[in-house]
Parts: sequence; C-alpha cells; structure tokens
Amino acid sequence: MTAAAIAIDGGDLPLGGGLLALVRPALLAMAPGGVVALRSSSPGVRQDLPSWCRAERHEYLGCEADPDGRDRHLIRRGPFGVPRAIPDADDADPHTGFAPRGSLVEPGGPAYPVTLTHRDLALAPETRQLYDQAVAAQWDARELAWDCVRPLPPALERALGQVMTFLAENELSALYVPSKFVARLHPAFAETAMFLATQLMDESRHIDVFLRRAGQTRGVSSVTTSRSLLALLQLEDFTEAAFLLSVLGEGTFLDLLRFVEVHAPDEVTADLARRTRADEARHVHFGIAHVRHVLSVDPAAGGRLESAVRRRAAALHGIDGVPAPIQDALIILAAGGDEPGRVARGHEAFQQLLVDMHEGRLKRLEHAGFSPAQAHVLSELHTPNFM
Amino acid sequence: MGNSILLGAVAYDPKVVTIWEGIRAYFRDAGVDFDFALFSNYERQVEELLAGHVDIAWNTPLGHVRVQKRTGGRAQALGMRDSDRDFHAKVIVRRDAQIRSLGDLAGKTLAVGSRDSTQARILPLHFLRKEGLDLDRLKLLPFDTDLGKHGDTGSSELDVLRAVAEGRAQAGAVGDLIWVTEQAAGRVDAKVVEVLWTTPGFDHCMFDALPTLDDARARAFQDALFKMSWEVPSHRRLLELEGLRQWLPPRETGYESLRVALDEIGGW
Repeated sequence: MTAAAIAIDGGDLPLGGGLLALVRPALLAMAPGGVVALRSSSPGVRQDLPSWCRAERHEYLGCEADPDGRDRHLIRRGPFGVPRAIPDADDADPHTGFAPRGSLVEPGGPAYPVTLTHRDLALAPETRQLYDQAVAAQWDARELAWDCVRPLPPALERALGQVMTFLAENELSALYVPSKFVARLHPAFAETAMFLATQLMDESRHIDVFLRRAGQTRGVSSVTTSRSLLALLQLEDFTEAAFLLSVLGEGTFLDLLRFVEVHAPDEVTADLARRTRADEARHVHFGIAHVRHVLSVDPAAGGRLESAVRRRAAALHGIDGVPAPIQDALIILAAGGDEPGRVARGHEAFQQLLVDMHEGRLKRLEHAGFSPAQAHVLSELHTPNFM
Repeated sequence: MGNSILLGAVAYDPKVVTIWEGIRAYFRDAGVDFDFALFSNYERQVEELLAGHVDIAWNTPLGHVRVQKRTGGRAQALGMRDSDRDFHAKVIVRRDAQIRSLGDLAGKTLAVGSRDSTQARILPLHFLRKEGLDLDRLKLLPFDTDLGKHGDTGSSELDVLRAVAEGRAQAGAVGDLIWVTEQAAGRVDAKVVEVLWTTPGFDHCMFDALPTLDDARARAFQDALFKMSWEVPSHRRLLELEGLRQWLPPRETGYESLRVALDEIGGW
C-alpha cells in the first residue's frame, strides 16, 4: 500500500454528507505534498473525491483496495491556502487582521487599517498587569450611599454642581480620546486595547457619578476648557495622547480629586472622589508606563513629546489661569460656604492645590523618564485647565 | 493604438466589471497598456475578435474552438485558468430512481443545462452517446437560460440540480465544479441525490488572439497574467471572483471532444 502521513476513516459518508468535515482538517494539518489516505465504503466518493480535489487544487493520487475490500483513496495536499503561524515579531503584519496571537493565518487576507503596528509604540510591558488590576477594581455606582445626600446651603450647592460639571466634562474627553486609538492598535497588541476598554468603562462610570452628584445643579462649561479638551481630542499620535491625557492631564486630576475628597461637603462626594481617584491613578500608571517604555527605546521621543506640549500650549495662547468658574467653585468648596472669613481659607487651599499639582507633575514626569529640568518646563507649559 | 491591448469579455454577471477593472488596474501597474470591452454574448465577442476590433477574447470552450476553426487553427491561445484544465461533467441521479448504470437512464427524464453550455449539455450528451446510450430513449428536460453566455452564469446547472432534487427529473447533467461546490456548501441533500457517472475530462476557457497579435504584446500580456499570485491580497480577490488559483499556459489537447460533439450535432 502507498504510504500516507495521515489515515482517516470516512465510513460510508458521501462527499456532501459530512465526509469533508473529516477530509478538510486532515489536509489542513499537512504541509503541501503530504499524503492523506481516506478509507471509504461510499461508491459516490470514487467520483466526487477527484472532482473535489480538482476544485481545491489537491492532487487525487488514486484509489486502491484495502485488505478488507474497502476503498483507500490517496490525496496529496496542494500548494494553496497553507496557514502560517503569526511570527511573534516587533512589527505586526496588518494582514493578520483580528487573528488572535498564536493562531494560524491563511495567507492572502486583506490588510487592516491599523497604524499602531510596532510593539514598542503599542504595548508597554506592564499593560497586561494593569488590565488585570483594572478588571479586579471595577465598582458599581450603586454602591455609593446616594440616599444620604442632603441639600447643601445654596452657595455650596452651586459650587459643588460646578465642580461636578467640570469633572464630568473633562472625563468625557478622557472617554473619547483613548477610544480614538482602540481601532488603530494592531490586534497583536490587544492588551493595550483591552486596557483602554477598562479605561473607557472607568470614565463612563465617573461621568455617571459626577452628574448624579451634581443633580439638577449644573455649572458652566468655559471656552478655555472646551479649547483645551479639543486640543486633546485632535491628537493623532498615541504616545502624545497617552502623555498629554494620562501622564499630565489625569495626573493633575489626581491632585484635584484629592482636593475634592478632602473638602467634600458629605460622605458620598468624598467617596466618589476617592473611588474615581483610584481609577485615575491606574490610568496615570498606564500613561507613565507607556511613555517610559517609548523613551527607553527611543530617547528622541522626549523631544517630540515636549513639542507636543508646546503645540498645545500655543493653541491655548493668551489663556491665563484656571477657568474662572472652576477656580471660584473650588475656593467655595474648600471654604465650605461663602462667608468671607471662610473664603480666605478656601483661597489659600486653592493656591496650595496649584502648588501640589505642579509638584505632582514634576514627580510623575521624572518617573516617566524626563530630566528635572525638562520636567519643570513641561509642567509649566501644562494647560491651566488641569486635564 | 500602438502597444495597447484591448481585451473582450462577456458580461455574464455584474462581477465581470469588478474583475476586469481590477485586472486592468493590475496590468497598468505592471506597465501593460490594457483596457477591456464587454460584450453581451460570446457569439458577438467571437465576431468582433475575428474582425480585429479586440486584440484578445476571454472565451468559453465553445468560443475557443469556433475561433480556432474560423482561423484555420492559426489563432493564438495565450492562457487559461488552472480550473479550466481537466473539467468533467457529472450525471447525477435521484437515489429513489433505481438508476444503477447508464443503461438504466433509458425511459427516464434527464435534466440538462443551456444548449450552449459545454459542461451541462453539449459534452455530457456527447459522452453519453459515446457510451452507447440512445438519447432518443431519454426524455430531456432542458433549461435554456442565459443563452449566449455559454453556461457561464451557472444558472441552468442550478436549475438542473433543483429539478433533480424536487423530482421533476430522475437524473441531471452538471459540471463537476458546481456539483462539488454545492455539496461542500451543504446545499445538496446527499440522502436524495448522488453521482452516477463522471464524463472524461475536457478543458474550458481560453484567452484567444488573432495570429496578427504581435509577440511583444502577447508576451507582455502573458508575463503580467502569470505573475498574479493567490497570496497577494489584491490579486487573490480577483482570482477568487474569476474562479482560479493561478493562470496557466494554454494547451490545445482538451478541446477535441467538443469539436467532435459540435460536428455530431451541427453545433458550429
């Protein structure tokens, strides 16, 4: 009998009655030129198998009789459609599409419109770990003690409404900006897209709780905030976006949320500030990990990131200081009301917040890999809108 | 027109536009000044080739042997699909029709495709005659759809499969590709229909040119054509639509049975 690498038993199955579910996987497992032997007692297969082989460009070698009198068909695997293992390369091939890592890919597929195809620009080493942490840390807005919310004195109620409006507005940008990059990431680096998905979920929850706490008392959206956030949304480079949004913007928000927690008029407000801050800390960690990794493989990236910060600062040129509505609201919040004596303390607390924010940025910038001098310049150029 | 090549193809389906616009773009990228003209039927296309209005015709086997005959065998064949080689036709039967051999077809209804379909009508009937079957003792159920398209649309073959499946015929003649493709796609009930007989092989479509097409243009066409690859995504899409994995050089050996069949039925 002719030698075959794989022997399969087709019973009396006709070609169109399930036989191909046995034949096709056997051939798929072979390298071109490999021979599959098929035992069959279906007379129709004698005629249909050669035709199917012709249609699929396998070579039908013929039929011989088995010792038990059944047909033994021999098929040599043809040269087309041999699936290949996806190489674990630093540059991912857009033609592998959504094929998961480790799968085999039939050649000849279309190129996907992904632009983040280089490992160093798409996947920082800590990303998987951060994804796992994010999944474990998800929380439900219903866990907050909403029933305990009581009306506040009018000035404080207005200030809190303004702060919550501002936070929600900025978190909307943090929902939209990363979402732009999810579809640009090569699926070989899907962990980054998966982490960003947790970030999108986090931001959604934050928007929800901020607006719930604001209730009917919504504040003003300033043109400064709007321009500043548009400059983020217009970023087309993932590393620049991670840097400006997560390292600088969300980093600065850590100090802002800490401020809200410390000066919260009630436990629900303190709780939501604490919870959102914990999530934001993870986003900041992701941003720092990404930027640090890019800087470690490409020191010139530092200059590009610095010019991205400068471009954004130039776009916001002429804007001086924190937008008035949020500045005033933070002072009243820290004062706990609008009595002049308290407001002086609130004002001091706000001045201290700006100092804390600057120092926090310096620390995070150095952690990301910038020199103290670079960090100082970058922190000074950061948007007065915080995010 | 200098070095340009004008190819004729028959618009048997809207996808023909996609195929030839894609191939035109590919040829032009490869430096071949190429364009195409679409005809509504192969008879017209053959006449226009013979009149010199197109340089190359993408012909069915029927078109090909007619061009060969009309040029006294001097026409140039330039290439064919891998799927055009060793075509076969199948006689399929209902399992409940008690047809165990070709002889049992006598007195039964045999569904056949269009009268200009090589694989579903002309050659299966020719080969059945050659096997000694008296076709006058068969009742033919013909599906003369899409005449002029020479069976390209496959619609008459699908009509044959349906007629046999539904019991309007006990047997039917179809090409091997449609038979295995329909089975592989799960569209044939193997409990109802099975294959009875496979005809000898024959060859199918061919790029035909007049003897006057100069070597340089013929070679430019062939060089670019044979470089299309199944593994290049943009090529693969066109090859899939046109039903091949690779283009192959021409061969003349697979058309003799068709010539004999046309002589028999006066089908030239």
